[in-house]
Amino acid sequence: MITRVLQVTNKLGIHARPAGMIVEITTHAQSDVQICYGDSRANAKSILNVMMLAAEPGSEIKFVINGPDEERVAEELEKLFANRFYEDG
Amino acid sequence: MPSAPFNTALDWDVNRKHFLPVRDFYNRFRKEMRLEMLTGEGTLESKITESMTHRPGLALTGFVDVYSNRRIQVLGSTEWAYLESVGKERRESLFASLARFPTPLWVLTHNLPPHDELLAMCEKYGIPLMRTSLGTQTFVAITQRILMEWFAPYCDVHASLVDVYGVGMLYVGSSNIGKSECVLDLVERGHRLVADDSVRIRRIGDSIIGACNHIAEHHMEIRGIGVIDIPRLFGIHAVRRVKKVEIVVELQLWSPDVEYDRTGLDTQYVDVMGVNVPRVVIPVSPGKNITVISEVIAMNALMKMSGVNLAEDFNNKIIDAMKNKGRSIESELKNAFRFTDEMYE
Repeated sequence: MITRVLQVTNKLGIHARPAGMIVEITTHAQSDVQICYGDSRANAKSILNVMMLAAEPGSEIKFVINGPDEERVAEELEKLFANRFYEDG
Repeated sequence: MPSAPFNTALDWDVNRKHFLPVRDFYNRFRKEMRLEMLTGEGTLESKITESMTHRPGLALTGFVDVYSNRRIQVLGSTEWAYLESVGKERRESLFASLARFPTPLWVLTHNLPPHDELLAMCEKYGIPLMRTSLGTQTFVAITQRILMEWFAPYCDVHASLVDVYGVGMLYVGSSNIGKSECVLDLVERGHRLVADDSVRIRRIGDSIIGACNHIAEHHMEIRGIGVIDIPRLFGIHAVRRVKKVEIVVELQLWSPDVEYDRTGLDTQYVDVMGVNVPRVVIPVSPGKNITVISEVIAMNALMKMSGVNLAEDFNNKIIDAMKNKGRSIESELKNAFRFTDEMYE
């Protein structure tokens, strides 16, 4: 099991499009992926779960990844957050 | 990862009709358009090749540098009055010079009597001449509509078309994916079948119009049962003959390597005979009820047509929630009270 704390750096925060990109990575993974944010915990494979966190710009969210491809998933998520979900600003 | 690719089945062969025999036009529409033949039966061999009508006002004045002679020539009261005013001699020379331009058909509106010179030209060169009691605008409007439909580009596609809550949904996908079963399920739930397995689609203006084959009509083949007659089994309300195609739904076997739409924020389109039609890809897997999904797609489309985008609304709600994070205790308290209130209902 590995954990990653990633910062949301795009302008709008994790709305539908970024959430879609996150689940696109997690649903194709064999690992179990959870997101912890504030006092909520969400299944990162469900787009509604991810969206209801309403993680705003600047916030930090924690991914808990557990499974055979956890390293790859962590890497892909890091890349996605580093690139600000490929949004402007 | 590739987003769901669209079936190559949309690479359809587009056909066009090249002519409409005047005889067929006359036989089919003589009553409706109150047509009366003024020339002999033999002139009906002529063929209409263009989907427009022409009022040859300028050609009658002698200007023929630009003359749409291949179109149906319509003489209304303006042209008739002009011909009347120039006198017999001028009319003779006029029609003698117009005779070198091949024309498919001449029509006099308002039941106007033909001038002898026009009649003589038509008889001599085998051009059909008709008269209608309709006014010019009415005749032209109906004729354009008929010709537009007749000459519209068309193709026969391996697909099924169903009217779901008034939304025309064209189902495509490889054989055996379950199109017919999905269609049958929709019909059973009260939706209307247009055509199963083979749909003739036409491009009329910027619309794609689908219709059933006039022989197969509303028969369906269900594997294991055979051919069934939908209107006789389910009633006349279960079918319709023509429907505009508003959404193309592609059924695909679910694949782990393909990306499917998750947010619903972006509408995707597919080019159907040059018209962009919204498309939806549904991955099919065992236990999935495509019928209910179809109904949701149709209702979603109806919402979009009425200016409401549910996916966008929800996204805005989330963006607002993020902006109001500072007041999160306040909003949580609000929900807590709602919860206790409702406990006593």
